[in-house]
Amino acid sequence: MLASAAALPVLLATASCRSQDVFTGPDPLAGPPRPAPDVITLQAVIAAEQGMIQLYRAAIGGDRAAPRARGLEPLLAEHQQHLARLRARLIVPPGAPATPAAQASSQAQGSSSPSSGAAGAGGAGGAGGAARGRVTTARLRAAERGSAAGLVRRLGTVEPALAQLFASIAASDATHVTALGG
Amino acid sequence: MMATVTAAGAVPALQAALAAEDAAVFGYGVAGAHLSGSSQSAATQDWIRHNEARDILSAMISALGATPVAALAFYRLPFAVDNAASAAALAAYLEDGVTRAYLGLVAVRDQRLRTFGALAMQVCAQCAAFWRGSTQAFPGLEP
Repeated sequence: MLASAAALPVLLATASCRSQDVFTGPDPLAGPPRPAPDVITLQAVIAAEQGMIQLYRAAIGGDRAAPRARGLEPLLAEHQQHLARLRARLIVPPGAPATPAAQASSQAQGSSSPSSGAAGAGGAGGAGGAARGRVTTARLRAAERGSAAGLVRRLGTVEPALAQLFASIAASDATHVTALGG
Repeated sequence: MMATVTAAGAVPALQAALAAEDAAVFGYGVAGAHLSGSSQSAATQDWIRHNEARDILSAMISALGATPVAALAFYRLPFAVDNAASAAALAAYLEDGVTRAYLGLVAVRDQRLRTFGALAMQVCAQCAAFWRGSTQAFPGLEP
């Protein structure tokens, strides 16, 4: 017993970390670390693209056979391709929401406008959120211009490959402006 | 030092864009000969635009201390051009090529050059869509 008691401080000393082994990283009990700037930017661009898609769906409305809808469908399809490729660039840990908007949506338990909060922050120039009122062609053109401009503004803040994707999507948005009569 | 870092990263991308513009200038000369009316006018405007872009790129490359790549005397066309339809297809092909070249400029470190490249991509992509008659989801990128 005495031997054990005397040995206890020694055991504790050797069992504890040496000073150079002390963990100096982030507090593991403080929650997940803040996403990297590239991730935050990508999440915002994804939210903006979701807003653009909502806008096109509102513009097309219920009559997909109408001439105006037929003209908008190819542009909507390209925005859906944009969204798919942007999402493919985002690696989401299991159980974590893909975007802050998705997190807000899940917290709101079934919000009908999942990108309404984040779309404005995405720099898409007012495309996002629940489209209120009739969505005119002029409004679509403005949204496309805003989206292209927003993506170009973000080029310097992301790594080269992501900047190239942004530039390509911005170029696609620019062609949509022309296709919409701009 | 910063100027040297910028030049080392940017010159190859600028040279590639210049080469694409040189090819476009040549190609539009071929395409324009098979077009008429408003299409020929559009081709002439695009030919002028590519000439101007070539001059701008040459000046940018010279300002960075490099020698702009010289245009070739002849460029092999990707397909036979002998009517208006193939001429329009060639114009779209040329614009796609220039768009891809400017995409390379978007990857350089200098933000001003990234913006320059991205804006040039938009113009070329719009012209490509005009000649093709349809838009694309990812101009300049592989599908």
